[in-house]
Amino acid sequence: MTSSARLFFLLLFSFAFTYVSAQEVDDHGSVADHHSPEMECGSHDEYDPAGVILHHIADANEFHVIGDFSVPLPVFLYAPEAGLTAGFSNMFHHGEVAVDGYVMNHGRINRLVDAPAGLMEGDHEVECIAHTSTEVDGKTRDMYYALIGGERYLLDAPSVGDGGLLGGGITSFYDFSITKNVFTMILASLLLIFLWRAVANGYKKNEGKAPSGIQSLMEPFFVFLRDEISIPMIGEKHYERFQPFIMTIFFFVLFCNLLGLIPIFPGSSNVTGNLAVTMALAVISAFVAYFHGNRHYWEHTLWMPGVPPLIKIFILTPVEILGLVIKPFSLMVRLFANITAGHIIILSLISLIFIFGNNGESVLGAGAGAIVSVAFTLFMNCIELLVAFVQAFIFAILSASYIGAAVEDAHHHDEAGHHGEEKVAEGGVMGGAVTGMHTAAD
Amino acid sequence: MSTLFLVDFNVLKPDIGLIFWTVIIFLVLYFILGKLAWEPIQKALRRRDEEIQSSIDEAKRAREEMQAQADENQRLLIEAREERTRIISDAEKQRKEMIAEAKNEARDAAQKVASDARRDIDNMRKAAMVDLKKEVGTMAIEIAEKILQKDLKSDANQEAFVRELVRDLN
Repeated sequence: MTSSARLFFLLLFSFAFTYVSAQEVDDHGSVADHHSPEMECGSHDEYDPAGVILHHIADANEFHVIGDFSVPLPVFLYAPEAGLTAGFSNMFHHGEVAVDGYVMNHGRINRLVDAPAGLMEGDHEVECIAHTSTEVDGKTRDMYYALIGGERYLLDAPSVGDGGLLGGGITSFYDFSITKNVFTMILASLLLIFLWRAVANGYKKNEGKAPSGIQSLMEPFFVFLRDEISIPMIGEKHYERFQPFIMTIFFFVLFCNLLGLIPIFPGSSNVTGNLAVTMALAVISAFVAYFHGNRHYWEHTLWMPGVPPLIKIFILTPVEILGLVIKPFSLMVRLFANITAGHIIILSLISLIFIFGNNGESVLGAGAGAIVSVAFTLFMNCIELLVAFVQAFIFAILSASYIGAAVEDAHHHDEAGHHGEEKVAEGGVMGGAVTGMHTAAD
Repeated sequence: MSTLFLVDFNVLKPDIGLIFWTVIIFLVLYFILGKLAWEPIQKALRRRDEEIQSSIDEAKRAREEMQAQADENQRLLIEAREERTRIISDAEKQRKEMIAEAKNEARDAAQKVASDARRDIDNMRKAAMVDLKKEVGTMAIEIAEKILQKDLKSDANQEAFVRELVRDLN
């Protein structure tokens, strides 16, 4: 490709980006009313980068493609009192229609609270979604209201598993929809299945021959993960049992990371930058490790031999039990923080265009912002590409080290143990460096 | 703004539905890929590793065999050469022995022939001498008889004859 063609694509791309982002400001960026007590419906012109960014990294019940066009996604909502509601996300018309008491609020489905029974069934037109912030127990809480037929009704967000610590908790309904993130996970899984089926077919076709095509492209990954993660972390004796798990977790995380870097449909979902996803993956890894933990491992964790009982009861055992929780917790936070930070930085850089352009008033400022923003975004995208691989690798190597610690035999405890710890420290430093860089830039 | 940031930061709130789907998707993916890809690939790689190892072993074995064969050939060659030398030297020795023996035999035979001849000659000479002596004696006696018959009829003659004999004796 010649340099002029490359420049052309870069410009085209940045214009497309500008256009998409500009549209989204109109759609969701207007959250300037968060301090106004009166409930009004109307458009707000002020550009709010934080709102736009947080909207973009969040999960959504519809997949926004361009302009007003979104890909409808299946919706499965369960409220204990009303049962299951299913359908497609386009039945909410981007929040203009309430269906069975459910309303779409900035891409996410919410439920009306304390609405009359008539509103909880059938379709009703929603005039607008309003937003206020109120002080509850010294904390600021965001409240969203739907204006239906001149009355305002409080909106409930879907239940989340934070135990109320982060302002969530169990609410009046559960959202089991195929959201944007779920859609991307399914897409990543299908891609992986097609890819690896082709690779596995290569082994059938070329049996007893040298690998060819996609098979020779992907084989180094398999061999690398086997020789650099599974065998050193888990050991010659046990690694074969866990190699499939390590491969699956590495490639699942990698593909979700990479799909998240594609700025247009079907990519752009912040899958591995969502705590729910990383929590599920980390807990699965921890379960795999603890489920396969042998007697030696549990003995050393819960009742370390050769240590006075008093120290065991008050220090060692509590610390080890904490460790059982902290291990998956660190996995969860590391991946989440790295990917979310990357997305926030890129979106912040894109937001520069609108900040410099004074929200469309200064074309010159927007142009200057575009040049700066494209250069920085390009740079950040390269780093994010690296991070996508590094974080998948770290997730896999740490999972393998937890499994390795759980299954290792009593005899060669020392050398294997130290080897594992060394590798983990290395991984931690890498992860820490990447996270640190993000935080600094953020 | 910072409080808004935290409150609105809903990627931090683990959505129960998302957790549910992540677990389902991951486990399904794990089982499908395990059946479809990881197991066959692992098996194929292991088989290939074993094949490569066995090929290397086979090659090493073949090379060792060839080396052994070459050593054997070398050894046989050396042995053959030694054998040849030995055979030649034996033949040489035998030849010399045979020649020497033949020489000795010839010499012995010649000596025997010579000594036999000498003895025969001797014998013959002795016999001839005996014959000659007998002949000469006979002849002498005959001569003597004739002389005696003719001369010894007169006394003078007898006397002359005796004298002559006596003179001859001196």
